[in-house]
Amino acid sequence: MFCPQCGASNADGSAVCVQCGRNLQPGVPPPTPLPATGVVIPPGTPGVASGMPVPNYLVFAILTTVLCCLPSGIAAIVYAAQVNTKLQMGDIAGAQAASKNAKLWCWVSFGVGLAAIGGWFLLMMLGILGSFVNQH
Amino acid sequence: MNRWREFHPAKAMFVAGMCGLLLLWIFDPAQSGIFPPCPFRYLTGWYCPGCGSLRALHQLLHGNIEAAWAMNPLALVFLPFIAYGLLSEVVKYWRGRGLPQPVLSGASIQALCAVIILFGIARNLPLHPLNLLAPGAMLHP
Repeated sequence: MFCPQCGASNADGSAVCVQCGRNLQPGVPPPTPLPATGVVIPPGTPGVASGMPVPNYLVFAILTTVLCCLPSGIAAIVYAAQVNTKLQMGDIAGAQAASKNAKLWCWVSFGVGLAAIGGWFLLMMLGILGSFVNQH
Repeated sequence: MNRWREFHPAKAMFVAGMCGLLLLWIFDPAQSGIFPPCPFRYLTGWYCPGCGSLRALHQLLHGNIEAAWAMNPLALVFLPFIAYGLLSEVVKYWRGRGLPQPVLSGASIQALCAVIILFGIARNLPLHPLNLLAPGAMLHP
């Protein structure tokens, strides 16, 4: 089934939408204003569904900076800061753009970290293989 | 319940995270070579703000708070907040909304970013109180 709010594909019989959290059970009213991560947009803001948060991905930004050790994590934190600064100024579109960038840089850090792990394992395997070859 | 079998990136991340913690509990990154080195340190030779965080987590999983602190004090300070944020994501996946969280101002996130960068610089400086911030330095003063 598809979520009537955001259109995400959900398994039949799901209680809530995996993407936006909307209640998918028939006959149960959808949960109103979600106190979720990020800043909640005040109701009545033009062009945006009221109560919809703009996530800043700060937790993931810090996590990828600390665990993947990468400048791209710093970029994600800078964009996370921009999300909240722009929301404070009432610039919803700008905040959403910054939110997208924050998410993008989180994935870049994560991807580079994952590539580093993959590369390390490859080197380790080659090392083990090399020591076997040397023995014989 | 088909919700258990349905694939979702958050679920894959959760399983990967738990496997990572298990590996970290069994192997000490300070001695075993199975964990990759920090790419930043590998390429530049300098400590990054996150260097020592895996060793700190290993020590923490074994209850050695002092050794964990010596490996990366900043990671230890951030850990409860990061853990709460991640728990919130898990809860959000489950019931549609996360745990209550404070709304930080843009300026305070920038300050946080500055703290991370300054910590990264400080632990590389060869000045006495600052060089104790390098991974493990507090264990051998």
